[in-house]
Amino acid sequence: MSTPSSTQGHAGDASSGPAATTIYLDHGATSWPKPTPVVDAVHEALTVYGGNPGRGAYRLAMATTRLIHESRRDVAAFLGVPHSRDLLFQPGCTEAMNLVLRGLLSPGDRVVACSMEHNAVARPLHALAALGVELVVVQADDTGTVDADEVERAVAEAPTRAVVCQHASNLTGAIQPVADLGDIAHGHGALLLVDGAQAGGHLDIDLSTLGADAWACSGHKGLLGPQGIGVVYLSAEVDPTPLVLGGTGGGSSESEGAPTVRPDRYEAGTPNTPGIAGLGAAARYLAVHAAEQRVTERRLVRKLHEGILEIGGFRVLGPEPTEVRVPVLAITHERIDADRLAFALDRNHGIAARAGLHCAPWAHRTLGTIDTGALRFGVGFGNTDQHIDAVLDALAALTRELS
Amino acid sequence: MFAALGFGSTHDALDAEQLLGDLGITVVPIPAPKTLGALCGIALRIELADEQRANAYLEAAGIGVTARTSIEDV
Repeated sequence: MSTPSSTQGHAGDASSGPAATTIYLDHGATSWPKPTPVVDAVHEALTVYGGNPGRGAYRLAMATTRLIHESRRDVAAFLGVPHSRDLLFQPGCTEAMNLVLRGLLSPGDRVVACSMEHNAVARPLHALAALGVELVVVQADDTGTVDADEVERAVAEAPTRAVVCQHASNLTGAIQPVADLGDIAHGHGALLLVDGAQAGGHLDIDLSTLGADAWACSGHKGLLGPQGIGVVYLSAEVDPTPLVLGGTGGGSSESEGAPTVRPDRYEAGTPNTPGIAGLGAAARYLAVHAAEQRVTERRLVRKLHEGILEIGGFRVLGPEPTEVRVPVLAITHERIDADRLAFALDRNHGIAARAGLHCAPWAHRTLGTIDTGALRFGVGFGNTDQHIDAVLDALAALTRELS
Repeated sequence: MFAALGFGSTHDALDAEQLLGDLGITVVPIPAPKTLGALCGIALRIELADEQRANAYLEAAGIGVTARTSIEDV
């Protein structure tokens, strides 16, 4: 067994650089490390909870069934979902948003979306547009924030089935006015469908009052669970057509279609028990520690933001340092390409950050960085002041070396 | 004799198990008897003497019993 290393086989390797990633700042892609209870819960799921949940009444299967039930209850409670049966486990936010969009929208429908959407939303919308869904995209401003008034104008122009918007940007960290968008959508008889991938865990979310008819989230980002698990909340007002059909364990097996009851309707096939167990443990951890964690994240991302501006030569995408954002920060440099910076940070300084388009070409086009990409830092669980100090020192050094 | 209660989903069955257990009713998950209908999941076995009380609790909690049958034992 080997451990990951980031220093193998490239002509640009620095002989004096660290042998592996020592500072992880890509929490926008996935959080790492995980809280110990999450790791323990995944291990326990694999070593103790061996039965197939919902597929038998013998005690081993029932123990696993109860584990899933308890995890659903705890994740639902953390997110403010009133009835836990409305909180569905999915393989990830991408699958969840596919269910929401492709399960609810039909040819002839009109949908209003924000120009900052991730490809988990943009690509399903493109596919739906090809089938005859009318797609209207509202441009966000230069911080990546959509103006609720502009969305209302777009919705008011013609009968609209849904407003689709991210909760927060994976590029700029901008937080969208989701509650206002809910009021606007509902005021015009439309649904509000939200991609919460970058919001879960980083923001205090109460889905009982947010106004979203559907809200999806990755389990492995700010929610601190394992990869391969995500969630979607569906209000009682929506009933997307299931995209996956198959065995669901309980209920009537003789019906030809999907069950009508939740969560079974949207959870065909054997569930990801280790992932769900880990996510349940993460929710219990966050129920105690999230408030403190958010304070730390906001302080660190602001420190990073202000420090980068002091170095000079950088443009920081998104809101001003004093504004609340989710803890991602993307930058460009006036002379050094983002990919060069990312590579040098990794190889020479052991710092993990992500360059490119971040699966968000709409967002980069909105901000004028579609041709250059950007370098994105994601701050999260486990990061410290020392990490930010080290990144700022490294960026200052690299601007001297690479300019 | 016992009553076997069937539910629309495993989720509802576990909600019922927890609720009734918390209220002092002895509940045993069992494989759903064929006489409950085309169910492949679990059912809850309770004492006949507890059935009326159990049904009242479940109804108050919004947990629907989709089928019931009497069984000798399992």
